[in-house]
Amino acid sequence: MTALADLGLVDAADAVARREVSSAALLDACLARLEVVNPTLNATIWVDRERAQKAAQAADAALAAGKPAGRLHGIPLAHKDMYYQAGLPCTCGSAIRRDFVPDITCTVVERLSAAGAYSFAGLNMAEFAQNPTGHNRAFGDCHNPWKPPYITGGSSSGSGAAVASGVTYASLGSDTGGSIRLPASACGVTGIKPTQTRVSRYGVMPLSFSADNVGPLARSARDCARILSVIAGADPKDPTSASEPVPDYEAALTGDLRGVRIGVPTNAFTTIAEPPVMAALEAALKVLEGRGAAIVRLDLPLMSAISAYVGVISRAEGAAIHSRWMRERAKDYAPHLSARLYGGYAIPATYYVEALACRGPILKAFAAEVFGTVDLLATPTIPTCLPTLAETDIDHGPPGTEQRFMAVSVNTRPFNYLGLPAASAPCGLDPNGLPIGLQIAGRPFAEARVLKAVDAYQRDTDWHRRRPPVVPA
Amino acid sequence: MEFLATTEAAIAAWHDITPPNDAARRMAADLASTVAAFEAVRGTLRFEDEPSSFEAVLQEVKE
Repeated sequence: MTALADLGLVDAADAVARREVSSAALLDACLARLEVVNPTLNATIWVDRERAQKAAQAADAALAAGKPAGRLHGIPLAHKDMYYQAGLPCTCGSAIRRDFVPDITCTVVERLSAAGAYSFAGLNMAEFAQNPTGHNRAFGDCHNPWKPPYITGGSSSGSGAAVASGVTYASLGSDTGGSIRLPASACGVTGIKPTQTRVSRYGVMPLSFSADNVGPLARSARDCARILSVIAGADPKDPTSASEPVPDYEAALTGDLRGVRIGVPTNAFTTIAEPPVMAALEAALKVLEGRGAAIVRLDLPLMSAISAYVGVISRAEGAAIHSRWMRERAKDYAPHLSARLYGGYAIPATYYVEALACRGPILKAFAAEVFGTVDLLATPTIPTCLPTLAETDIDHGPPGTEQRFMAVSVNTRPFNYLGLPAASAPCGLDPNGLPIGLQIAGRPFAEARVLKAVDAYQRDTDWHRRRPPVVPA
Repeated sequence: MEFLATTEAAIAAWHDITPPNDAARRMAADLASTVAAFEAVRGTLRFEDEPSSFEAVLQEVKE
């Protein structure tokens, strides 16, 4: 029998709605799991048990009184600690914001609350969401639940570790260069970065106004679909959010991929992938073929331009956001972060504008060529076997560690520049026993198709159901 | 003047920010690769002078 903490989000929510399990029992299970795994993982920054217990009791009382249940009624959730919730801490994983308590609540958490969920913890993360590994000097590194010396992926490190280990049923992460997909890949869970503008960013710590995205990490495509259905859609408080109607993402999960063409890049993404990662990708493609998909090998256009432009936007915008603190409190940043921010001040405005000005035309040309041929793209999420925290520790490693560090996100960043939806799902284990991720991307606003492909894959595989060794048997 | 020294001087002049550590200097020096990447792309994109809106293209090429 599955432990309560190991239920999927949808299963847990449906069980609460049917009054088969109480919200209080789910919360107790999550908190009990936290007690067991957190000394190893360091996945949380703060926990508010008392507030959460009150919310759980209120959720149970509402059901007992016959009130209608929302799609997430009574579900305890913990999010990356960068989502503003009035009166609750929001450290952004940093010493600089260690004592910050916002007086507003972000739209995405308000929408989760309206659907019946409540928050019980703030999760560890890369400082200011600015690294792909999960290193954190202010609150300690987050550790991989499969093997603690290895990276969790970042920047949503605590989200990946907590979802994988049964601390929370799902978690909001953010993704500017891969920060949802990387921890999803490294920790063996499922995550999706939606189309740029698909989800409101009001009340969410900014890193890069042009490339930031909010999205879920959870244990399956179906669970991600449930969260995304709740949080997506236009928000008057975020004028950059798209007015595109929000489909029922769960309804799209039919398992049928007949007629779906899945492209596998031959000139990028796979060229640098290590053999165990490629073997896992090829095995995943066969599963997708078995569901009816046609696999098409193709060269992707404009990859040199995308590669040139992708880093400039987030570095320049991140540097601008942090300029006051970099002048006044540079020593309060981890060295790897202040080092990264520093270079951003030397990027000429003309480069930044060029990168932004070419973004639309490049997307248009890319979409015309690629999505005229295929519906989705499949790549490894992280092209190498997972590195350890020590191997990617810029603050203490030798010169050259920066390259190992930045290589982690080489396959995720292009989809941020293009603004495309992209998911990561577990598809194997590398020779060290660490998860490998399958990345699937699609056209703008094709989240339903992306999730449909991942769900189809998960119907025939059990990688997403496997639990890391840190979880008690 | 070498690239790093020029870069440090520009950051100091424009932003009043000094290198916080050696890794910052290494990453600033690595901006030379960004320059090279831009130079490699320059002239290869025929649409770079056209006005554009990224959000409009998201809608234009959506599913």
